Amino acid sequence: MKRRDFVKNTALGSSLFLVPSFVKAFEEVTAKTLGVKRLVIVQLSGGNDGLNTIVPFRNDLYYKNRPTIAIQKNNLLKLNDEIGLHASLQPMKRLYDNGYLSIINNVGYPNPNRSHFRSTDIWQTASNSNEYLQSGWIGRYLDNYGEMAHNAIEVDESLSLAMKGNNINGIATTDAKRLYRTSQDPYFKKVMRLNNEHLNEHNLGYLYKTMIAAESSAKYIYEKTKTFSSRQAYPNNSFAKQLKTIAEFINSGLKTSIYYTSLDGFDTHANQSNIQTRLLKNYAESIEVFVKDLKENNTFRDTLILTFSEFGRRVKQNAANGTDHGTANNVFIIGEDLKTQGLYNDIGSLEDLDENGDLKFEIDFRTIYATVLNKWLQVDDKVVLNRSYNQLDFI
Amino acid sequence: MTFKQIQHLYWRAGFGVNPKQLALLKHKSRKQIIDDLFKASKQVTPLKINTSGLDKISPKEILKNETIRKKVIEKSLKKIKELNVAWIERLANPKETLRERMTLFWANHFVCEDKNIFHIQQFNNTLRQYALGDFKIFVKVISKESAMIKYLNNKQNRKQSPNENFARELLELFTLGKGNYTEQDIKENARAFTGYNHNFEGEFKLRKLQHDFGYKTFFGKTGRFNGDDIIDIILELKQCAQFICEKVYRYFVNDSINKNHIDEMVYVFYPNYNIEVLMRFVFSSDWFYDKKHIGTKIKSPIDFLVGLNNTVQMTFKKPNEVIGLQKLLGQILLRPPNVAGWKGGKQWIDSNTILLRLKLPSVLLNDSYISLNEQGGFNDAFVQLTRRNNRKKTPFSVIPNWEFFNSKFKEIPCNKLQDHLLICKLNDDTILFLENLSKSSKREYCIQLMSLPEYQMC
Repeated sequence: MKRRDFVKNTALGSSLFLVPSFVKAFEEVTAKTLGVKRLVIVQLSGGNDGLNTIVPFRNDLYYKNRPTIAIQKNNLLKLNDEIGLHASLQPMKRLYDNGYLSIINNVGYPNPNRSHFRSTDIWQTASNSNEYLQSGWIGRYLDNYGEMAHNAIEVDESLSLAMKGNNINGIATTDAKRLYRTSQDPYFKKVMRLNNEHLNEHNLGYLYKTMIAAESSAKYIYEKTKTFSSRQAYPNNSFAKQLKTIAEFINSGLKTSIYYTSLDGFDTHANQSNIQTRLLKNYAESIEVFVKDLKENNTFRDTLILTFSEFGRRVKQNAANGTDHGTANNVFIIGEDLKTQGLYNDIGSLEDLDENGDLKFEIDFRTIYATVLNKWLQVDDKVVLNRSYNQLDFI
Repeated sequence: MTFKQIQHLYWRAGFGVNPKQLALLKHKSRKQIIDDLFKASKQVTPLKINTSGLDKISPKEILKNETIRKKVIEKSLKKIKELNVAWIERLANPKETLRERMTLFWANHFVCEDKNIFHIQQFNNTLRQYALGDFKIFVKVISKESAMIKYLNNKQNRKQSPNENFARELLELFTLGKGNYTEQDIKENARAFTGYNHNFEGEFKLRKLQHDFGYKTFFGKTGRFNGDDIIDIILELKQCAQFICEKVYRYFVNDSINKNHIDEMVYVFYPNYNIEVLMRFVFSSDWFYDKKHIGTKIKSPIDFLVGLNNTVQMTFKKPNEVIGLQKLLGQILLRPPNVAGWKGGKQWIDSNTILLRLKLPSVLLNDSYISLNEQGGFNDAFVQLTRRNNRKKTPFSVIPNWEFFNSKFKEIPCNKLQDHLLICKLNDDTILFLENLSKSSKREYCIQLMSLPEYQMC
């Protein structure tokens, strides 16, 4: 054996020796079980007013219920003779015109809950409204089809319930370098090498296992993405920055099937118009650059973007030129090969409301999850959602 | 009692014990130590923050004027944050240690959240008042708390259109557990709680016109039952004692249940439901001190933060950071995730929270620096430089009080520090690792110990 080969082999051998065996096993399996498709989920937190986003400008009830905050016909981007987009959504209109956008109206669930936390939990765990699940739907996807924390990444400071499985959790990061640096503290590196005896099923074993997995994912994400930097000019706001981070992760080829991020501030109880105009502008402009970024790197065709909000808002406006918590809302699906482009279904009735004066839902949000899991990520949706749901046909 | 056993008792019944306290306890008998714990918690000191800015507001003003209403809600939410910080401070310096531990336990049993500072503060103090009392009265009082009446919609529960939310959770989460009742039981149960309401001050009011005075059939009994009658019927079922004992066991003893121990506990708890008697039994049992329970639970974020503070006191210049830390760690007091509360155990830990927990002691107490010194090597200049660089980046306005640590740990030689900071059993590799660390600075060694996964156990 040549000296150089010997050095290479022993170096490799010794480093392998230091990596616990279950991590090695993970890295080998991952490539096989996860497909090439990616899902990006955006939560508009606080409850976006869907009725002022996708506007039924022919409906008298709309104007009657919202004397000061209704959007006039000539201020809308018309999609057809009845429905128009909020003027801030010009970039979305372009996606729509290209056939990249599908709008699913009236999405909700039975016995809606109007608390932000609770309704967010329901969306994130895919539970019934009277059921309390401790694992998120993405977490359960990881439990069944993922192997490593970085198979699902949330671009945020901490991990949402959506990302927590029973056995595997996703990982959250806004800054891969910082996460990496934290995990690479020389002291931790030493601690991680302590006896594998720790890696049993007991609580302490679980802590070591999670620590090692986090270090491994932090390292993987950082090393795989550090040389790649997006060339697109993203708008200057934090949501755009999050999308830029996701684009960089996607375009550097991370083995990550699901990305999760959110844009906050939609809880518009007072003076809604200005706030919503600004937020939707941030959303739409950032998404457009994001799509462009992916397209130029040939990764858009394998990416689907799903945007939702934990609930819509009440049909009738309040006295403070705002709206209160409501129920059903619209969901945006963005992708290249959509089966149903444009409006997937009609806006719900403004006449037939529930006892609170809120929209009655037509499409259960879990049928959207089921469709995305089954048709896009190509896994068994029933295993992830614990139940069987109808499939829709937007993809 | 052995040194380890006292630590175990104090971690489960309180928030840890420092060497100074330990020195006072070590010559006492188990019975004496437990008696003292209960005696110290005989009193109830309510937790109250200064609400004078909100005291003079009348219900009329709030109903009439939306601007005032909005302002009041905003102020109230701010005050709830203050209550959160005050609660943490209380936990860090408790006089009635066991009572505070029990209050924290019940806050994750009778889970509730409210935006009204007066109502949620009252609720919190009800938990404190009954924490070691009569569970039968406790449930009834909770059912009449304004915050609970709102949180689980008894306020919307009317004779004409019953709302089952409270009735369902009363059975599922507060008394019997899932699967021990029928949907019909819930319907009848909900009727008994119709008309439950409260006034502006947060006192219970039964709205008679909305209350269903008719006959209800509940668990085989028929009568014109009201809410209190329903609770009496539930408590006659042994299953209720079983359910509570299992929950107590999981929280205070071990994540997994031992059936024999539960049977013993139920025998003590049923039918009188005296919480103090139950807890005294648990802490006095030989099995409570079994090695397989010691140091095998994962600290909750609150245990972790309060425990840290019990070793090196911390002062936050910006109290909001205390709430930010709770958020990052996954447990904000007074802000439960839902009515089922925090699941606890392994659920506290994910890729992010584990790294955060390991890093936090050094970030809060030592300019983000964890020494890697093994015996022999020491490079002072390098350490100083790293420190200085780290200090600028530190995201918290915290002032650690190392004098506190020095005085409490004065008698403890550096190479014995691990016996006080790590409760769980250490394996040979870890012991060797610790032996090889340089013990030239007690402070550095303290940080090293706090940066171990073992430190997360209690």
